[in-house]
Amino acid sequence: MNGAERMVSALLLIGGFVAVGLMLVGLVALQVRAARTAHPLDVRHVVEHREAGRSVDVFVSMPQIAHALARWPPQPVAIITAGIVVLLATPAAGLLAAMAAFARAGDRPYVIICAALLVMLVSGFFLRVGG
Amino acid sequence: MSDLAFLSMILGTSAAAGVLGALLGLGGGILLVPLLTLFFGVSLPYAMGASILSVIATSCGAAAGHLASGLANMRLGLFLATATVAGALLGASLVGVVPARALQILFGLALAYSALTTIRQLHVEVAESLEADPLAQRFGLEGVYHDQALGRDVAYHAIHVRRGVAVMFGAGVLSGLLGIGSGAFKVLAMDTFMRLPMKVSTATSNFMIGLTAAASAGVYFGRGDIHPVIATPVALGVLLGSYVGTRLIGHLRNTTVRKLFLPIVLYLAVSMLLRGLGLLR
Repeated sequence: MNGAERMVSALLLIGGFVAVGLMLVGLVALQVRAARTAHPLDVRHVVEHREAGRSVDVFVSMPQIAHALARWPPQPVAIITAGIVVLLATPAAGLLAAMAAFARAGDRPYVIICAALLVMLVSGFFLRVGG
Repeated sequence: MSDLAFLSMILGTSAAAGVLGALLGLGGGILLVPLLTLFFGVSLPYAMGASILSVIATSCGAAAGHLASGLANMRLGLFLATATVAGALLGASLVGVVPARALQILFGLALAYSALTTIRQLHVEVAESLEADPLAQRFGLEGVYHDQALGRDVAYHAIHVRRGVAVMFGAGVLSGLLGIGSGAFKVLAMDTFMRLPMKVSTATSNFMIGLTAAASAGVYFGRGDIHPVIATPVALGVLLGSYVGTRLIGHLRNTTVRKLFLPIVLYLAVSMLLRGLGLLR
């Protein structure tokens, strides 16, 4: 395994576990809050009906998440969503790390390939590409 | 059923999907979406949101392990991902312009052909030494991994790179057009056309699927389809399962992985042909 692969491997693993750690902390906090307020989550009802699901706080933008995390105590769902965002960003972070490693090694073709992929991924985000 | 029991069952199912995904180079959506909707009653948008998250979680867990073990070839994955992502961009811009059903029939037939090829080389452990493609030499599309099942190092290089890139591009077009994952196509392009060892193909596919899924995941997130409560057990289960899968694959032969992969290809070929013919929605 060379330097680039070692760096990307570590980044993917750390990103994955940090994301899942945040999500778990948030879920436990959500359960504790539900138990304290005597309002059970009723997870099955929430996930079976999309409209019911949306009535539970579902954050869909970074400012919303930042605002909910800045409050004390932070909203449990915002902590889970922060974990989701970390997970979604991890592959792109891996790509950036690979590009940096290839640049350090002077491997121009792969720096260009990584840059092209990054441009396409960003374009894909705006074009709403599937798959 | 209590919330805890419900979430634990989803966690267990996701772990199984993660193991399978890491072994076969798939995102796990092929297994997770039907299970979440049919057995757990999760609404389809949330199941699809969980599925796209599971692709990234599988990729994080599996690719990390596969890169560390040398099974995944990062250069190969990045090189081929340019074709897949470019194809996906084109496919997304062709929605409503190109008849999707004709493409489904075309790819259904391609998958059926790939299934036949897979059956023919079902017992081929590692392809015989073939002359390396000049493109493979130029871009370093070669490698060596230690095969625990065979107890020796296996050196490999890609052949028919242009053909492999063409299949990857076509798979990308289809995924962009239909909004489906394309892990199976990636594995087939590497195994069938580029004659890479099956385990290298699935491991490299695991690295690639995270990149392509990241492009579309933002859309699901923005629509509110990645529900936090369902996402947590899915991500945790898939991440742990995929990490276990990377440990498991080292002890399996290429032929065993190919045998596990064959039913998936057959299922995809039949379902795509039926959809193309309008017999399945």
